[in-house]
Amino acid sequence: MGLDLRMKGDTIPDQHHIARYCRPTQVPDGQIQATAFMLRKGEESLSVNWCEFLNCSCRESEIDELRNIYSRKLRRVGAGAKIAVVNVGEVREKVLTESPDRRNLEILHDPQCGTVNDLSHSGIYNLKRDDELIAELILETVRETYPARK
Amino acid sequence: MKFKWCFGNEKEVPKLDLQKTGSEFLIDNYPDGEPYPGWNVEKILCHQIPVSKKRDIHFLLKPAVGEESSEPLILGWFEKKDPFTQEDLLDNEEAQLQDLIFRIRTSLCISYRESLAKRVVTLINDAKEEEDFTGVGIAVGSLRNFFNFIQLNTNLKCPTISLTPEYNIYASWRVEQKQVFSVHFLPNGDTRFVIFKPNDLHLERQIRISGTATTDILMGTVAPYGVWDWISE
Repeated sequence: MGLDLRMKGDTIPDQHHIARYCRPTQVPDGQIQATAFMLRKGEESLSVNWCEFLNCSCRESEIDELRNIYSRKLRRVGAGAKIAVVNVGEVREKVLTESPDRRNLEILHDPQCGTVNDLSHSGIYNLKRDDELIAELILETVRETYPARK
Repeated sequence: MKFKWCFGNEKEVPKLDLQKTGSEFLIDNYPDGEPYPGWNVEKILCHQIPVSKKRDIHFLLKPAVGEESSEPLILGWFEKKDPFTQEDLLDNEEAQLQDLIFRIRTSLCISYRESLAKRVVTLINDAKEEEDFTGVGIAVGSLRNFFNFIQLNTNLKCPTISLTPEYNIYASWRVEQKQVFSVHFLPNGDTRFVIFKPNDLHLERQIRISGTATTDILMGTVAPYGVWDWISE
């Protein structure tokens, strides 16, 4: 089935939320670290999922749906992996006002299709690979965390 | 070969004998032990738990996910008599990683050596189970850089360590949410650091500093910001 990618590039509203999959190597003793918000080599944006796009009735349902997505996309969801949820407006404001270069993050819808479709997939843009300070700022906006494994 | 580290189950780990001194301490003979010119290895070497017979050192492997059998580690590199072969093996990143973990675990100057070594092994195992894993689990140069740092600064509290996307060590000392000192240890001997601390004159505000320094001058570089107060014991 073809995927309608017309919504690709849409800006996610400030009042909405995004979820980031945090690997076990970024979650020592259950505590998410700034490394979870760093770009890897070759990445243009930090992968997240748009929670409200999932159209679930509550956060718990959204998290369940995200767990389903991860289990389909990843070879293995680590036992210590976590989901970090942040508010779009809060993280953008935080980074804009507190980063030395007043970085204007863009959080855009970026649905993926392939062997596994991930329609809520989105990205945080305008990050760089040596952005430890901004990763720490993003970490400070994490308000909710959940285990990533079902 | 894919395998998983199993730390703490070594059958023949040498017993600690704190009475032994001098010549029986491990020697840092890494060809690439100097991350940059001017690095003084002697300055940073702290005493390590003496090993009476190096050939007694063994680590065991635990199977990775989906693998059925365990097998004894690549080991035996301490047992090699032929120095050429031993040098070859030291070039192997896996062997270097083992040696660094061993050195962390046996460094008397690191009070939290056991927990730190276990944490490093856990990170390696977790990294090896990642979707897009390549390499040996942790960038060896980064771990060596981190080890050099904690040898230089022996009164530090144990940091929280995690891995960057490039498998480098990222160490954080955090006091509540508003006071943070984090260091990204790069494989080339550099570090990138971040400091968040309260502004004493404006308590609702925060001071945020970031920068780059070589490992040997890092603490001197950040000292004016009072970092020692919350990361040292």
